Amino acid sequence: MPHSTERRRALGRLAGLGCLLAAGPLVAQGGGMTPVAGRPPAPPLALPDIDDKPVDLAAYRGRLVLVNFWATWCPPCRREFPSLGRLQKKFRPDELAVLAVNVGEEAETIFSFAGASEVTILLDRDSAAMRHWPVKGLPTTFIVDRQGRLALRAVGGREFDDAAIVRQLRALLKNA
Amino acid sequence: MRFRYALLTGLFLAALTGFPLVEWAIAAASAQSQSPWHGARAGVAVKATALTRPAVLAFYQARGFSAEAIAPYADACVFSFEVRNAGKGPLRLRLAEWRAAGGPGGMRFRLPEEWDADWERQGVPQAARIAFRWAQFQAEQEFAPGDWIMGMAALRPRPAGPFRLVTVFHRGDRRHEIAIDNVACAP
Repeated sequence: MPHSTERRRALGRLAGLGCLLAAGPLVAQGGGMTPVAGRPPAPPLALPDIDDKPVDLAAYRGRLVLVNFWATWCPPCRREFPSLGRLQKKFRPDELAVLAVNVGEEAETIFSFAGASEVTILLDRDSAAMRHWPVKGLPTTFIVDRQGRLALRAVGGREFDDAAIVRQLRALLKNA
Repeated sequence: MRFRYALLTGLFLAALTGFPLVEWAIAAASAQSQSPWHGARAGVAVKATALTRPAVLAFYQARGFSAEAIAPYADACVFSFEVRNAGKGPLRLRLAEWRAAGGPGGMRFRLPEEWDADWERQGVPQAARIAFRWAQFQAEQEFAPGDWIMGMAALRPRPAGPFRLVTVFHRGDRRHEIAIDNVACAP
């Protein structure tokens, strides 16, 4: 009964679409970031930006800093990248800074993808800086609190302007 | 019956976690025998996509490998894996525990550091090695609920025909296996 089988499959897929629509709000709210146990001090991070100007994480003490490790060839990194800029716009510059650490690529490659980005892009050309951080895969993202400690972590892509994440960051700003 | 089960599973997973698992449950209902393959159990969802030799060659040549250097990897049986932790509590995995069953003795995935030792011997440029390292499904991983990871891994020697892919995860003291039948290398 190929006809019947096809119809069932089509119905199944429609049901999947229905589930997607029904689950939309859950998906939008889902995710969030995971608290880092013990809030250890953030490892050092001092790298050139895309204009070759030196940037040091230590200079951001007193603000929240989102540190995102990424590469242009990494599909989830590409998908989440625009949300980093949208997140930055939700906070004042003295509240939050976003540092997107590109791993192993040339400035031209990065620029052709990111263009004039809202976020600060750092170049970790030999992945030496990344080795000091507890990163096992790309993308991995950390929130460094105002005291310079690792407060939150996310492994895998996120929509960083998601309400759940924004709430987590607001709470960190209040409690710090 | 299988359809109804998948539909109910899909609805349940939608309420629990959202679309990706729903998509997988529906896909499972179709009993597909082609890439990508899906498996889910105990709050873990696995997706395995077989990558063709031209796709693998193109990806790594664009990252600085010569065709000769990357050929052994492209000639192996390369997959892109995606794993989601939709359960409660951290999830750990060791790629060394994953295997392809069905052949004599089974086959395992060659680990990223084993490939990297080859690249170092061959003098592959550092930038290419970095891209390779981070494009791989990492050998050992631990990730929190809501986290998901992806990356490539290669079976070598290349299995001659379809096989049972056995993936292994640990949550707390419990060991979970997700086995997917009739998995095959890309032609």
